[in-house]
Amino acid sequence: MAAAMRGVAFIRNIVGSLHLRLQILGGTSQQLSCLHTSISLDSKHWEKNNRKVYPPQLLDEPRRPAEVYHSRRQIKYSKDKLWYLAKMIRGMSIDEAIAQLEFNDKKGAKIMKEVLLEAQEMAVKNHNVEYKSNLYLAESFSGKGKYLKRIRYHGRGMFGIMDKVYCHYFVKLVEGLPPKPEQKTSFDQAKDYVQSLKNRTIIHSL
Amino acid sequence: MATSMMRTFGALRSVTCSSLKNAELALDVRHPGPLFLPVRTKKRYFIPPAVGLKGKKEENPEAMAQAAGIVFRQQYFERPINIACSAGVFDPYIPPEGDARLSALSKEGLKQRTEQIRQSAASQLAIRKIKEHDSEFSTKTFAEQAQEIFVEAHNALTHFNREMLHSLVTERCYPEMTRGNRYKTIRWRFVESLEPPRVVHARCPEMVTKGNLYGQVTVRMHSKQTIAIYDRFGRLMLGSEEQPKDVLEYLVIERHLINPYSRWRLHGKIVPSWAPPKDPVIKTVAIPGPELNPWEEYDALNYKVPKPASIQWNK
Repeated sequence: MAAAMRGVAFIRNIVGSLHLRLQILGGTSQQLSCLHTSISLDSKHWEKNNRKVYPPQLLDEPRRPAEVYHSRRQIKYSKDKLWYLAKMIRGMSIDEAIAQLEFNDKKGAKIMKEVLLEAQEMAVKNHNVEYKSNLYLAESFSGKGKYLKRIRYHGRGMFGIMDKVYCHYFVKLVEGLPPKPEQKTSFDQAKDYVQSLKNRTIIHSL
Repeated sequence: MATSMMRTFGALRSVTCSSLKNAELALDVRHPGPLFLPVRTKKRYFIPPAVGLKGKKEENPEAMAQAAGIVFRQQYFERPINIACSAGVFDPYIPPEGDARLSALSKEGLKQRTEQIRQSAASQLAIRKIKEHDSEFSTKTFAEQAQEIFVEAHNALTHFNREMLHSLVTERCYPEMTRGNRYKTIRWRFVESLEPPRVVHARCPEMVTKGNLYGQVTVRMHSKQTIAIYDRFGRLMLGSEEQPKDVLEYLVIERHLINPYSRWRLHGKIVPSWAPPKDPVIKTVAIPGPELNPWEEYDALNYKVPKPASIQWNK
């Protein structure tokens, strides 16, 4: 009886400590979930960036370059396959990007070219961009769309769930010349390497 | 003894079960997932909905309801629409050539100055009709009122105060004033009035049914204003804030006379055919070139840009 009582008390202690740990875990999950409080599946945040209005610039400020955000949703293509094209045209000027996509054989290239032309027209008509060639791609990436699920029949009565894949494509055009990627000479790289070696500190030494 | 043992075993079982789960959870604290309780009948697989069956299309549900004997009352698909302003400017005022260009001291200038509204009989009739419905109307005070309405409306436009704008400006004029301006910043200032505003024209058109009177009065205003429009990114698109411009305008103010609660609101502007061209936008705009046949070439030297015909139009 006493052993049983002691056993119960022991178990209750364990349960209590575990409850504490559970609460901590639950608390951490709450803390981590604060990062994504307001994004849901249906929100189209990328297009809302086009509604941002800046206050009028003063005379001494440098002219702010125009930014145009555009996207196309639920393209019947894979996001991984579209990523390759998006990575290819990142940082190019818009004319160059359209030319590259026109002569690319992939299916996503045709869709991306349409999106770029739409975005260019929007920029000139609605966002007060002066020259339609004076744009470059600041950001271009693909995202996962909502998949449809179907059954794929295997042998022996087994089945798999087939995903009908859709993706989104997002693009941000900025007015101006495309920024040149910094090219470091080999001498500079060697110099940086030697400097990093010299910056090392040796701890616990005599 | 037995009950206590049962209790301990029960507690132990639940603790061991939860301890297993918690051990898993304790191991990967980085992924705090939902706590799942062992429930035997929980569905753990997912079968997507079968695509083949689209569902048989129902025949006319109306016919089925009639056959069943249910009678529906007659449904009227109507929605009342209130029209508070007329569609345009009826019988617009044609301002005389060179209205504000001639000085008051020359003979032509004097002739223009002595133009009274009494010359136009239709305007007199219209004013008499307006005075029937609105006893406080008088041509002398109305011009000042019109200018006030104009200034307040444009101030509401700069702050984009929708409610005030709707009360000062008719529904026909509102989209003309605000189209494309939502993501732009407008800075407008009324510097001073160069000449006192004058009522030059009045008409009382009727819409749809007889007796549905609207009163439209044209007021001539000569004033100094500054306007500066900035686009979405704060860059100047049009005008300048420091440089005021002399503006001669013919405003059309309208009121729905039948309605006792209606107000005099800005309805539109008349732009005469001899008006000077407006200032260009701070942007290079491409003018479409001539339409060429496939065998023709574009000749830049001999091509003249076609100028738009100068006609009077209502804004």
